[in-house]
Amino acid sequence: MSASFESAKELREVIDKIFSMMDADPDMGPKLRDADTPQRFEFSDFDAVVNIRATRGDEAGNLYWEWSDDVDWDSKVQMTMSSEVANRYFQGKENVPMAVARRRIKTGGDLKAALALIPITKPIYDQYRDYVEREKPHLKV
Amino acid sequence: MTLTEVARSLDISPATLRRWVAEGIVPLRDGEWTPAALAQARLVARLRARGHSLEQVRVAAKQGRLAFGYLEDLFPEAEVEYGLADAARETGLEPELIRRIWSAAGFSAESLEHLGEDDLQLLQRLGAVLDAGLPLVAFLQLVRVYGQALAQIADAEVKLFHLYVHEPMIRDGAPVLDIAEELSDLASELLPLAGPIMDFVHQRTLQHFLAQDVVGHLELVADDAELGRVRVAIAFADLAGYTRLTEEVGEEEALEVVERFVDVVGETLPDTARVIKTIGDEVMVVGTDAAALADWAVGLVALSTERPLPRIGVHVGSALYRDGDYYGRAVNLAARVGARATGGEVLVTREVRDAAGKNLLFQPIGEVKLKGFGEATELFLAGVR
Repeated sequence: MSASFESAKELREVIDKIFSMMDADPDMGPKLRDADTPQRFEFSDFDAVVNIRATRGDEAGNLYWEWSDDVDWDSKVQMTMSSEVANRYFQGKENVPMAVARRRIKTGGDLKAALALIPITKPIYDQYRDYVEREKPHLKV
Repeated sequence: MTLTEVARSLDISPATLRRWVAEGIVPLRDGEWTPAALAQARLVARLRARGHSLEQVRVAAKQGRLAFGYLEDLFPEAEVEYGLADAARETGLEPELIRRIWSAAGFSAESLEHLGEDDLQLLQRLGAVLDAGLPLVAFLQLVRVYGQALAQIADAEVKLFHLYVHEPMIRDGAPVLDIAEELSDLASELLPLAGPIMDFVHQRTLQHFLAQDVVGHLELVADDAELGRVRVAIAFADLAGYTRLTEEVGEEEALEVVERFVDVVGETLPDTARVIKTIGDEVMVVGTDAAALADWAVGLVALSTERPLPRIGVHVGSALYRDGDYYGRAVNLAARVGARATGGEVLVTREVRDAAGKNLLFQPIGEVKLKGFGEATELFLAGVR
């Protein structure tokens, strides 16, 4: 049985939550800011795009994101996947190279930078799983 | 315990558990829930949750293949009390240093927030090694070697127990609960011996190497006796042009590139595969799922866009499992296939092509004479379809 988002609104709510957790995490947040790798995520089934980058200058926090392609920066890494794959990915259940080979994730851009982000973002798996357990049990995989 | 209580503890419905018992998938002893029966039920629930069909589980259960579930009871669940910040306070080590040590030992970053008393003791002892004056660069390498070697030991313990104790019992057709209890009795006798034996072997070996002051190449003596063989998928991955890179950027920088490559391999492997060893910039990986390993290889190469590009050879076949390592023709062939690839290529044998999923595309490159092999080997270039 696949775990699916009920709507684009819910997808956005959950991805916002995931990025907020990454942003606020004392380990991941600063590392992602230092990595300075703007990413573009496209969730193909909901036709939704989010662009995320490190904060600049005196912007608060570590990460800044917009649900749009109309942003004033270029992404360095692009990842396209269904919302179901994204849900599995953030729960640590989607192996990136295997997902690429199985065309579950399409990638573009500086993939070396994308690979470097994998170990940095690993703590999100536990945090997201806890969140799903607590607030979104239908997304548990 | 009652059936309802057991079902609740496994997070399944009593009706499901009742069906497993009725079908003999979870055998009770005279209608009683013995520890062996509980362990079997726990394992069946886990296998079902992982997506194995009831038919697969039924066949495995009836053959006694699940009897090792009982062995997990030998490891009482540790009380988790500490996070990274606690560990830093208790040990006096910087959190970043703890992270590096933990990662070098091969433990997951997530587990740093779920530490027990034993973990703290381990960190304190590792801290004492640093305090004694061992340089950090040597210390971290040593922790990495300990982690890899001990992972290999644990893997060997489980595999050898399986190959030489569990499998013969299955072949003899022993009753399922008898297998579980016999395995548990034997394991509970063996487990306390492992630590002191490893300690003694380590001391002896250390003495030997100190005396010799050389690390020699261990030549294995061929043995014609019947030995445990396993069918595995084997991959050899390395960085094409590493020698040239060393000349261009120097040894230190080239070594960093290799370390990053080895880390990426370890971080991205499928659950069914593990790094067996690294030799310079070459990584030997062995897995039980050829399709998953082929997917991983193709995906990793697809994600690698900068020089030096990885090249990977994959073969699947019967290997001799001994001393925690894999030997034999299949291993040699996989190594030669890897050496034949150029940067950014995944080369595989027909056996891998036949086992792989339809998501991959295989371009035949003909029969190739590989060094050391009398007959030519049919090779395919694997890529994303």
